[in-house]
Amino acid sequence: MPDQHQPGERTTAQRRADHAGLARLSDTLVPALVAKLTGSGLGELEVREGDWKIRVRRPLGSGSSAAAGATRRSERPRMGSHAYAEGRATSAGSRAQPGVPEGPADNRRAVATSPAVGVFRPGLAIGASVHAGDRIAIVDLLGIPQDVSAPIDGTLVEIFVQAGEAVEYGEEIGAIEAPAAAATASGDDVAGATAVGEA
Amino acid sequence: MVGRVLIANRGEIALRVLRACRTLGIEAVVAYSEADRESLAPMLADEAICIGPADARRSYLSAPALISAAIVTGCDSIHPGYGFLSEDDAFADAVRAHDLTFIGPPANVLERFASKEETRRLLAAHGLPTIPGSGLLLDEAQALEEAARVGYPVLVKPSAGGGGKGMRMVRSARELAAILPICRSEARAAFGDDSLYLERWLQDNRHVEVQVAVDRFGHGVHMWERDCSVQRRHQKILEESPSPAMTAAGRRELAERAIKAVVAAGYENVGTLEFLVDGEGNAYFIEINCRIQVEHPVTEMLTGIDLVATQIRIASGEPLGFTQADIAQRGHAIEFRINAEDPEHDFRPGTGTIERFNAPGGPGVRFDSHAYAGYEVPPFYDSLLGKLVVWAPTREAAIARGRAALNEMVIEGVVTNVQIHRALLTSEPFLEGKFTTNLLDRIGSAAFLAGAERA
Repeated sequence: MPDQHQPGERTTAQRRADHAGLARLSDTLVPALVAKLTGSGLGELEVREGDWKIRVRRPLGSGSSAAAGATRRSERPRMGSHAYAEGRATSAGSRAQPGVPEGPADNRRAVATSPAVGVFRPGLAIGASVHAGDRIAIVDLLGIPQDVSAPIDGTLVEIFVQAGEAVEYGEEIGAIEAPAAAATASGDDVAGATAVGEA
Repeated sequence: MVGRVLIANRGEIALRVLRACRTLGIEAVVAYSEADRESLAPMLADEAICIGPADARRSYLSAPALISAAIVTGCDSIHPGYGFLSEDDAFADAVRAHDLTFIGPPANVLERFASKEETRRLLAAHGLPTIPGSGLLLDEAQALEEAARVGYPVLVKPSAGGGGKGMRMVRSARELAAILPICRSEARAAFGDDSLYLERWLQDNRHVEVQVAVDRFGHGVHMWERDCSVQRRHQKILEESPSPAMTAAGRRELAERAIKAVVAAGYENVGTLEFLVDGEGNAYFIEINCRIQVEHPVTEMLTGIDLVATQIRIASGEPLGFTQADIAQRGHAIEFRINAEDPEHDFRPGTGTIERFNAPGGPGVRFDSHAYAGYEVPPFYDSLLGKLVVWAPTREAAIARGRAALNEMVIEGVVTNVQIHRALLTSEPFLEGKFTTNLLDRIGSAAFLAGAERA
């Protein structure tokens, strides 16, 4: 499987810059690299740019066979009822506020969504405590890991997807529950987020 | 034959590809952005998968997202539709590198025809007449020299361009010198490539294009021409076939030269060669489109051939299965592009929810649209809502069917350009078959509409 340079300790700002850089690389460089590798007899290719290097390694089997075996809960939007769009926390409105609580009964919970269409790889276990922006799992986009980030500080309480399952962009991956005390302290913020989510 | 297709596009063309897959008995998965969740194609597909946000750069233009979507949904092929990545050779190559079939010309063919300037030279060498023009412009001095040789007025064109973007007409050396840096920066911004070339400006020309299909074995056919002379700022509004401006002999000669040249140049799959035709009936090759085109249904109505199914079969490595002698050219067809834009306010794009919707019907009437009552038109993409195509044995009868169909059509809640089509069907230049590409811009759309109301 393709490999990727792991940066060491990084600040949130640095991580954000890294993500932007990675998005750019995955849009332009990776397809070209993959094509080059496939067309050549080489086993591995590496490209460095700034702080980043990307290494594409030829898998033992066919490049797509591992992912092709991924299962997916087949679905599509349905005509007539707009339930599909409304039933998900991933509509355009709520994306701006990733920490949208699911409902009044669960107002300490926020849902982490998939940043890409690909194959789900688990990361942290249920019960792990996380900070907003922490990686809780990975979605494999053609061998390039894309971080599923925690939307809020708290505890990872649920994961909705099985390892190896295919996920689409915006799909709900896991739930984070904020500590009770923090919820009280930031109660105004949570209420504000709810209003945005429902607007 | 491919077995399961990822449709990597949106709007009416995603639905059109889905319908072709259905008739071929193959499965189709629609890749959609968050903004297109409620479009018809994702709702009617065998499966639909969200590939990214509304921003096309992170969805319909993201090669990794599309290829990943194809792999995880078990597709063995990708249909790119038109626009977006449909003529991107690097994308076609990446698709192939993942053991998927790209439904279109192979990457090396796309690469060969990627530069307009080089394509003109290549096809001129294979016998197509081209507009007197220049090579790529190097600097101002050389550009002025070339312009003097070509003869003013000249058209400055970006080599990587399309859809009329970044083109400017200039009448003098002084004007040319002033506009060159502007054209360069526009071309760089729009296409990421600032190469420019010059062409002689043809006043009062018509836009005529020839539909071709060539299989992997070099067997090619033409499917006659389409006349796309009704344009607004280089954007086609209405297309028809046969061209009312050409004689039967002229049409046959143009189509035969076109197919001969592209087969010789090594083209593969479905494509279109665009020509400008001057007042004397001389046709000049301008560019080739290596994709299915918006106006392809005009040809389907005349020939009875499913062009999208033909694309899929050719990409699967099958022979065409028919010859030139099998291709009919029956009657007359007209396509009206129904856009969500306001003709009374400089064609400003409109968005909103369609409250009432009625698709016209009856003999010889086809309406390809991804919209329906309750559909919300997203503001992120082009404004094409659908295509009304009418067919009849004669041009007069097709125009009559067009009038009736336009009157039946109801789209309320979102502004559309339907009134410009109604006005066209009462305008003398159109009825006489004398429309030229610059006519609408010269008259001005507002004056054109006002004139139609008085008539």
